[in-house]
Amino acid sequence: MKTGKTNGLKRIVEIAGIPAAAFLIMVLLCGIQGVKLFEMEGNWILFFRAAASVMLTTFALSLNLNSGRFDFSIGSVALLSSVISASICTAAGLPTIVMLMISIIAGALLGAISGAVYVIVKLPPIIVSLGVALFYEGFAFSITKGYGVSFVANAELTSFPSVANYLLIIVCGLLLFIFLFDYTQFGYDYKALLSGQKVAVNTGIKEIPNAVGCYTIAGALMGVVGFISATNTGTIQMALNFGSIGTMFTAFLPMFIGGFIGRFCNEKIGYLLGAVTTAFISLMYARLNVDASVQQIVTALILVGFLIYLNNENKIIELVQLKKLMGKTGAEKGK
Amino acid sequence: MNKSKLKNYMMNLTPLFGLAALFAAFLILGTIRDINISYGLKSIINQSVVVAVVATGAVFIYTLGSFDISLGASAAVSALIGGMVYNRTESVFVMAAVCVGIAVLIGLFNSVLASVFNLPVFVTTIAMLSVLNALVLVLIKVNGTGSEIAIPAAAVKAINNTPFKIAVLLLFLLLSIFIFSFTKIGRMQKFQGSNPVCAKLSGVSEKKMAIIAFAMSGIGVGLGAFLSIIYAPTLTKNTASSVGMDVIIAIVFGGMPVSGGARSKIYAAVIGAFSMTLLSQIMVMFNLNSGIGQMVKAAIFLLVVFLATSDQRGKMLPR
Amino acid sequence: MKKFWALLLTAAMTVSMLTGCGGSSQPAQADTAGNEAGSDSTGQTDTGDNAAQDIAADLDMSKTVKIGILVSDATTAEALAFRTYYTEYIQKQYNVEMIYSDELTDAAGETSAIDTFITNNCKAIISFSSFDRAAQIEQCEGAGVYYAVATGTLTDEEYETYKGYEHYVGAIGPSLDVEFETGYNMAKHYLDQGTTNFAIFGGAIPYYTEMHIYRAAGMITAMVEAGGDGASYQGAAVKDAIIGQIFADGEVKTGAIGNVNILGYVGGYDMDDAWFGKCAQMAQTTDLEVILAVGNGSDFFGTAIAGTDVKIASVDAYASSYGEAMEAGMLDYLAGKFSASIGPIFIATYRAALGAPIRTADGNALALSQGYWIAENVEDFGAYYAVDSSVESPAYTKDLLDTLLTADYATFENFVGKYSFAEIQNM
Repeated sequence: MKTGKTNGLKRIVEIAGIPAAAFLIMVLLCGIQGVKLFEMEGNWILFFRAAASVMLTTFALSLNLNSGRFDFSIGSVALLSSVISASICTAAGLPTIVMLMISIIAGALLGAISGAVYVIVKLPPIIVSLGVALFYEGFAFSITKGYGVSFVANAELTSFPSVANYLLIIVCGLLLFIFLFDYTQFGYDYKALLSGQKVAVNTGIKEIPNAVGCYTIAGALMGVVGFISATNTGTIQMALNFGSIGTMFTAFLPMFIGGFIGRFCNEKIGYLLGAVTTAFISLMYARLNVDASVQQIVTALILVGFLIYLNNENKIIELVQLKKLMGKTGAEKGK
Repeated sequence: MNKSKLKNYMMNLTPLFGLAALFAAFLILGTIRDINISYGLKSIINQSVVVAVVATGAVFIYTLGSFDISLGASAAVSALIGGMVYNRTESVFVMAAVCVGIAVLIGLFNSVLASVFNLPVFVTTIAMLSVLNALVLVLIKVNGTGSEIAIPAAAVKAINNTPFKIAVLLLFLLLSIFIFSFTKIGRMQKFQGSNPVCAKLSGVSEKKMAIIAFAMSGIGVGLGAFLSIIYAPTLTKNTASSVGMDVIIAIVFGGMPVSGGARSKIYAAVIGAFSMTLLSQIMVMFNLNSGIGQMVKAAIFLLVVFLATSDQRGKMLPR
Repeated sequence: MKKFWALLLTAAMTVSMLTGCGGSSQPAQADTAGNEAGSDSTGQTDTGDNAAQDIAADLDMSKTVKIGILVSDATTAEALAFRTYYTEYIQKQYNVEMIYSDELTDAAGETSAIDTFITNNCKAIISFSSFDRAAQIEQCEGAGVYYAVATGTLTDEEYETYKGYEHYVGAIGPSLDVEFETGYNMAKHYLDQGTTNFAIFGGAIPYYTEMHIYRAAGMITAMVEAGGDGASYQGAAVKDAIIGQIFADGEVKTGAIGNVNILGYVGGYDMDDAWFGKCAQMAQTTDLEVILAVGNGSDFFGTAIAGTDVKIASVDAYASSYGEAMEAGMLDYLAGKFSASIGPIFIATYRAALGAPIRTADGNALALSQGYWIAENVEDFGAYYAVDSSVESPAYTKDLLDTLLTADYATFENFVGKYSFAEIQNM
C-alpha cells in the first residue's frame, strides 16, 4: 500500500509538477514586486481565457503537426471563422451561443476546405497551409472591406468573457477531444497513421478521410479560438501578408510541455496543463507589466530550456545521480 | 537521351518555364498597359535580389529536410548590427563583413544549439525567432534614435546599383552551386536529406551537415542583410520582417521539394524569388484591392507549385 | 512537354484571372486623350457646373493621370476611410487612377513600391508611409515623379532640405504642434470637468512614433497645468521637457502630477494574452475616471469598462463602430481625422502632374497644417459621420476642390486652414 501511495504521489508530481512550479514561480516573482498574481476578477478571466484559447490552439496545432503536417493556416481559420460568425450575428442580432455555433461550423468548414486542398493537390502540407493562410486572410479582408468587425457596443456578444464560460469551454473541449481521439475508430486510425503511415495505409486504413477529418477538427477548434478572441474585445482586426500566423506560435511551448506530461497521463491533459502553465506566465507578464521584448526573450528561453531538458533528460538524470553517488562515496571516504 | 531522361530533364526545368511564362506575361501585359518595362526590369532585380540571396543559402538547410523560420529576423539583426558598426567605423567593407559574420554566428548558434542539446533544428529556429525579434527592438532602442538605426544614404550610394547587386548574387550563387553540385559536401547534404538513416550508417555526420548548412545559410542571410542596407539605409523594427516567409515561398515556387534530398535544386531559390516578384509586378498592373489581390496571389502560388512539383507526388499523402 | 504547356496554360489563366478581377477596379474613365479638348468624359457628377468646366479648359485633364499611393496601414478605420475617399470619390470625379501599394512595413518596402509606381508610369506619388521620408523624396526627385505627404508633415530640418526640390509638392496634415494640441485639448476637456484620475493608452509610443508621443505630451502638459503649484511629470513641467522625458523613457510613467493622477498606462499593440490582460487591468483600476488614448481606445478598452463610469477618449477617424461605442457610452470623446482632409493634397499633387504646381510665395513646397474634428457627444458624431462617410457628398466635394485647381497659394492656404466641420460646411 505504501508503495502504491508513493507511486501515486510521484505520478501526481510528474503530472502537475510543471504547472504547479510555474504557479509558485509566478507568485514569487509577483510577490517580490509586491503584486498579487490574482487580485481582481479580470486576472481570473485572463487566466482562464488564455488557458482555454491556448489549449484549443495546441490541440489544433498538435493534431496535424504530430502527423508531420505543419499548418501555418490555423490562425487564418480562427480569423475568418470569427469574421463570418460575428458578421452574421451582428447583422441578425443573434445571441452569443449562436455565434459560437457558427464559429465552430465555419471553422470546421474552412478546415475541411484546407484539408481537401491538401489531399487533392497532394502538395506538402506546409506549402498548402501557406497558400490557404494567404487566401483566408484575403477573404476575411474582402468580405469586411478591410474594416474587420466591431461589436464593442453589443452587450450580448461581449458578455461571454467569464470564468465559468471559459471553464466550460476547457472541459467540453478536452472531453470531446479525448473522446474523438481515444474512443472512436477515427482516433484509432489517426494513431495508426501517426505511428506508421505506410503500414497503416497498407493495412487498409483510409488516410485521406482521416487527414481531412483532422483538418476539419482543427478548424472547428480554431473556430472556438477565433470566437474567444473576438468576444474578448468585441473587435476583429484584419491581418494581411501572414499577419495571422502569430497565433500558431503561442502553442509550441504548451505542446512540448504537454508532450512531456503526456508520458504520465493522457497527452490531451498534458496539453491542457501546458496551456495552464503558459496562462500563468501570461498573467505574470500582465501583472508585472513586463515589456514585450523581455516577454519574447523569456518565453523563448523557457522553450529552449525545456526542450534541452526534454531531449537530454537521461543524461541530466545520469549526471545528477552520478553527483549523488560521488557525494556518497566522498562522505563514506570521509568517515 | 532516352525518353525517360528527357522527361526528367524537362521536369527539372519546369520552374524555369514558369519563370519564363511569368516573364512573358509581364512583357505582354506591360506592353498593353504601356508601362516602363526597362525600369520595371531593374526594379524586379532590386526587389528580388535580397530574397534570392537569402533563399539560395537557405537551400542548404532545406536540402537536409529541415527549415529555418528565423531567417528574416536573423537578417534584421545582422543588418542592424551592421548599421551600428558602420556608424562607428564609417567603413562599408567592415559593415558588410559584420553583417555576414553576425548572420553566420546566428546560424552556427542555431545548429550548434541543436547539435549539442539534441534539439530538432526547426524548434531551435522557432525559439530563435522570438529571441531575434526581441533583439531587434532592444538594438533599436539602445543604439538608434528610438525608432530606427540609419546610416547616411550617401555612404552606400555608389554601390546601390543593379550591377553590384547582381554581382553579389552571382558570386554567392556560383559558390553555392560549386559546393552543392561539385563537392562531397553537397552530395552528403543531399544524401542526408534523402535518407538520414543510410547517411548515418555511411558515416555522414548529421551534426556536421547541419553546421555547414547553417553556415552557408548564414552567409546568404548576411549578404541579404548587407544588400538590404544598401537598398534602404534606414532600418526599423520591421526591416526584413517579410524575408522569412518570402524565402519559404520563393524556394517552393522555384521547385525545391520541402522534404529536401536528392531532388534539391540550388537554383530554385533564384528562380522562385524572381517569379514571386514578377507575379507581384503583374498584380500591380491590375490594381486589385488588398484582399482580392492576396487571394489571387495565393491561388496562383498553389497552382504554380502544384504544376511545378507534379513529378514529386507519390501515392501517399506528403508530410 | 506536358508540363510546359500546363505552365503556359497557368500563365494564361493568371492573366485571365487578373484581368477578370482587375476589371471592376479600373477607374470608370478611360484614357480620354482622343476626346475634344476641354470636354469631360469622366463620368463626373457635376459636369453641369460651369466653373468646373472653365477650370477643366485651363488645365488639360483629358489624359488619365496615374497616382501611386504609399500606405503603411491598410486595415485601420482611418486608413480605410482615406482609401474610400480616394477610390470611391476622387477617382470617380477626376481623370485619375489611384494605384495603392501593399501594406508597407519598412523603408525597403517604400523604395520597392515607388519603383513599382514609376514602372507603371505614375506621374505622382502621395505618401501615407513614413519609414524614410527623405529617401522617398530623393527617389522621386531622381525619377522626376511628383511626391506629396498626406496627413503628415516633415520635420523643420527635412523641410528646409527639401522645400526647393522641383518634384516635392509638399505636405498637408496635422503638424506635431497640432498633435500636441489634440492631446492637450482632450485632457483639458476632462480636467475642466474636475476629473483627476486618468489612465493613458500610449499606442505606438514604445516604437517612438512621434505623433503619439506628442499627443501624450499634450495630455500630460494639461495635467501639469491643472495639477497645482509645483506639479510636474517626472520633474518636467513644460512642453519640451515633457516630450523629451517621454522620448527618454519610451513610455508614460504612472504617478501623481500634483492633484492629478495617472493611474495606469499601457503601450504597444502586442495583441497577445498578456497585453489584453494589461489593458483589462488598467481599465479596471480603482478610482479610474477617464482613459485617454493617443489612438483608438474604445476597441481595446470598451468591453473592459462596460457597466462602469469610466470614460474613453480616442484619437482616430470617423467610423461607424465609434458611433456605436459613443451611443453605448463607451466612447466619450473623439478627435477624428476626416477622410476628405486628404482632398487638398490630392489637388496639389494633381496640379503638379498637370503642369501647374502650387508653391509658396517663395517658390517652395507646401507645408500646411490641418487639425481634427472633435466629437464630444453622439449628436456631433452623427453629424460628422454622415458627411465623412458619404461618397456622394463628402466634406470636400468636387465643387470645393475645383476651386483649388487654379487657386493661388494664399487661397489654397486659407482653404486648408479652415478645416473645422463648421467652417467646411460654410464654404
